[in-house]
Amino acid sequence: MRSPGTTHGGGAATTLPTRDARKARDAGHARKARRPLPIAATAALCALLVAGCDSAGSTTTAAPGGKITLTVGDYGTFGYKEAGLFDAYMREHPDITIVEHSVEQEADYYPALQTHLASGSGLDDIQAVEVGRIAQVVKKQAAKFVDLGKADGVDRSAFLPWKSQQATTADGHTIGLGTDIGPMAICYRKDLFQQAGLPTDREQVAKLWQGDWAKFVETGKQYQAKAPAGTFFTDSAGGLFNAVVSSSTTQYDSSSGQLDYKNSPTVKTAWDLSTGAIQAGISAGLKQFDTPWFQALANSRFATVACPSWMTAIVADKSGSANKGKWDIAAPPAAGNWGGSFLTVPKAGKHQKEAEALAAWLTAPAQQAKVFTTVGNLPSNLKALGQPEVQNAKLDFFGDTPTGRIYAATAQSIQPTVIGEWDGLVKDTLTNGALLSIEQHQSDPAKAWSNAVKEIDDKVSD
Amino acid sequence: MAVNRARRAGARGLTGAGPFTYAVLVLVAVLSLFPLYWTLVGASTSGSRIAQTPPPLLPGGSLWHNLDIAWNQVHMGRALLNSVVVAGCVTASTVLFATLAGFAFAKLPFRGRNLLLSLVVATMTVPAQLSVIPLYQIMAQLHWTDRLQSVILPNLVAAFGVFFMRQFLSEALPIDLVEAARMDGANSLRILWSVVLPIARPGMAVLGMLVFVQSWNDFFWPMIALSQSNPTVQVALAGLGGGSYDSDQAVILTGSLLGTAPLLLVFALLGRQVVGGITAGAVKN
Amino acid sequence: MLDEAVPATAPGPPRPAPPPPSPWRTRLYRWDLKASPYLYVAPFFVCFLAFGLFPLIYTGWVSLHSVDLQTPDRMQWRGFDNYTRLFHDDLFRNALRNTVTIGVLSTVPQLLMALGLAHLLNYRLRGRGFFRIAMLAPYATSIAAATLVFTLLFGRDYGMINWLLGHLGLGHVDWEGGTWSSRIAVSTIVTWRWTGYNALIYLAAMQAVPHHLYEAAALDGANRWQQFRHVTVPSIRPTILFTIVVSSIGATQLFGEPLLFGGGATGHSGGSAHQYQTLGLYLYDQGWYAFHLGRAAAVAWTMLLILLAIGALNLALVRIRRARNGG
Repeated sequence: MRSPGTTHGGGAATTLPTRDARKARDAGHARKARRPLPIAATAALCALLVAGCDSAGSTTTAAPGGKITLTVGDYGTFGYKEAGLFDAYMREHPDITIVEHSVEQEADYYPALQTHLASGSGLDDIQAVEVGRIAQVVKKQAAKFVDLGKADGVDRSAFLPWKSQQATTADGHTIGLGTDIGPMAICYRKDLFQQAGLPTDREQVAKLWQGDWAKFVETGKQYQAKAPAGTFFTDSAGGLFNAVVSSSTTQYDSSSGQLDYKNSPTVKTAWDLSTGAIQAGISAGLKQFDTPWFQALANSRFATVACPSWMTAIVADKSGSANKGKWDIAAPPAAGNWGGSFLTVPKAGKHQKEAEALAAWLTAPAQQAKVFTTVGNLPSNLKALGQPEVQNAKLDFFGDTPTGRIYAATAQSIQPTVIGEWDGLVKDTLTNGALLSIEQHQSDPAKAWSNAVKEIDDKVSD
Repeated sequence: MAVNRARRAGARGLTGAGPFTYAVLVLVAVLSLFPLYWTLVGASTSGSRIAQTPPPLLPGGSLWHNLDIAWNQVHMGRALLNSVVVAGCVTASTVLFATLAGFAFAKLPFRGRNLLLSLVVATMTVPAQLSVIPLYQIMAQLHWTDRLQSVILPNLVAAFGVFFMRQFLSEALPIDLVEAARMDGANSLRILWSVVLPIARPGMAVLGMLVFVQSWNDFFWPMIALSQSNPTVQVALAGLGGGSYDSDQAVILTGSLLGTAPLLLVFALLGRQVVGGITAGAVKN
Repeated sequence: MLDEAVPATAPGPPRPAPPPPSPWRTRLYRWDLKASPYLYVAPFFVCFLAFGLFPLIYTGWVSLHSVDLQTPDRMQWRGFDNYTRLFHDDLFRNALRNTVTIGVLSTVPQLLMALGLAHLLNYRLRGRGFFRIAMLAPYATSIAAATLVFTLLFGRDYGMINWLLGHLGLGHVDWEGGTWSSRIAVSTIVTWRWTGYNALIYLAAMQAVPHHLYEAAALDGANRWQQFRHVTVPSIRPTILFTIVVSSIGATQLFGEPLLFGGGATGHSGGSAHQYQTLGLYLYDQGWYAFHLGRAAAVAWTMLLILLAIGALNLALVRIRRARNGG
């Protein structure tokens, strides 16, 4: 690499400098007098900005005089602000100000929470934790959280027992209070079912697959035989797999909480059903929540999707007003739970007592019911589930479907199950990895399974 | 003023552009702008409409509605101010220090120069993700988390900036200019002020713009160091579009439009000074 | 590779200075000559020591341990296990291959196009300002926004690109799912964002090329292409080197685009068969998804060592070539 001067050796470089240098130097002197502006301006700007940094930084730490500020860190929509709960609480407690720190994606939220927990600073007074992460937090970090089972105003018996259990350590330390749950039903397209010659009434539809996921796949084959052009019975093999596993009492772990997915009969059944569904061509081969999946919803490409209560909002939103009234919800082959969250109080917080009280209040029946009617997060609190406004709730998009009753009923029949710290990882690897690679790359199922096992074993080892 | 005239002449272009040049440039401009235009289209419709086929090609009527959501769901006003402060501080100091160091590496002989320069380039290769944990521990000990210092201080200098100015000055600054000035007894500061800075200005302008944009769009570290109560624009955008387990893409697109618009506005307003200003060479005398 | 650029800028034999007015001023002058370079580079290195070196060394220390991201205070000594593990990991090799593939697919066309565009922008143009801003606009777009739009455009069944291909009768492509199509799609996002940026850097350098070089070339009968080839390109070599180094490093660390292209929450796997999982994603997958901070640190250091090895190899080749050419 050479500079221009040496490349053109004799010509430019040797003759130019003396003459040009002098002139440029003269120019430099002249310039110095005439054009100090840009550099001075830069320096001034920098000083100004640094001053600005200080003031901007310090104003945030100044709390309003005498008041306590409680911060609530969460993700997605917990619905507290939307339901006016923070405002109501602040009216009842004039000395408390609540600030919500909400991040849209849980995948962004959790790594930040982990960094904060690791350093013991930057934590909010209340931190939400998703059910897919709770087992890990319970196992590894329980000591960093307040035991909410003993907190004032908490009625442990009011919650669905399996929900509280998920946030409780072996020695009975409850680190999280349940917010919502995700009982699963099946959302299906009435219009597509009719065109494929299947019943459309939700009771009859539920009968098609009652009690057995294998019947669900069989229904899919019937559908596919007479399917409207370009449509598939269900969105993804991964979605089916997850639904089958979620509705079983033994999932990825042994009863003692050890990861044991390789010997789990449920996993075997779910795997065989899902790969069978792929071979039968009843899956649209999509990755859930990915952009093409949203596009498929908007363009009516699949007829069913395993549908936890929170999924109804996505189905409604992504299908768009053009598909309003075409979706209905039927009972699933077996009841299961997918999703939901907890509120925790880290010990590093400054106002533990006040935070405990707020967390207890937010997860109490009246507030959970209010959240449900505002944003549709189904209560994990039994008393809230029984309230008429929950039972009688309907969703505009789904017409006269009694969504409240369907989901509250499903919620009651969910059986407790052991969840382990690696369940999320195993599920992701099997669904978004192995099964999807069979759909996308026509991988051999046995090979896909052994690759996934290798990857999981590597990640769960120290 | 031979140098300046030469530079200016070079800058003005060798010859006028022909139709082929225009055709290529128009095509590239269209390809560059289309995704941005489509962001606008998405921001003015709903999440389900933008996913439909055939895709919408004209803006819909929901822009104000989505803007309202995007603006009110997060502290967007504060976020914009914070981003200006952060990106401004980072840019000013990066450019200043990069020019100083770049000049030394390009034109001044000193012991250990090559070794140090290699070190500078080597530091660029460290993946940003890995510094997060130790960096956060430092910030926590200084009680700077959630304060703007925590995202400004680690970025006061950039190895890439030093490398950029070093490469720029090694071709733009004839060594004889420096030596001639030194022969005349000028000290280092005077040489820097009167000879180096005027010639470095186009490079500084470009570097400044690049650093500003980079800092504006920085996400990974601010997301961990700051919170939604004192966010930069990119952190605030992460709080946008929440549905229970889902995201409203129209609102997210609206947010990213809000986040990008100030940069485009700056480009458009300062275009002549910053983007076009490069062509003017050092000075107009 | 850096060394190559140095000799041209190294000063020749010191020229005789004009007679100094006084011994005091001479001493000051000497001191100034010696110390000023260090003063100029000092701010960079001071800041780097404070916020760059400590994390780097700490990361190296972490890479020799088994550390859980959730309990980073509990470290178990592992020696070089985290490094030897990489040699046996198919996914690491896969990520390394993908990084090289996507790096070449994105960097080479990007830099060639940028060079051509800069050349065109250097002509006397109407609407010059507009073209420059238009080409820089992609760089101003955040990775998140750009990738979101591109995933919509690259949708499998209903994306605009497949819609257009369908109209042209070219069938449709499973962009995200396919092996090569996904790599091309990710490369496209990178190329879209960075071409204008590099063009602008080239343009800044081109405008510092003295005009008389072109005049001389024109007198010798060189046409535009020959002028470009024999005047412009050699003149802006340090800048080209800069963009190659920076783009290569960027390509090695490629992270945001494939992560978000794969759909945010699950993007760290780089596709169902890891078909576009880069080293950056692999690192994130190990560290922030499986929480193996020690392994992630080892990946980072391996990336650093690979880049340094490439640099050293380059340097050696240059030295050998120079030695063959007789210095």
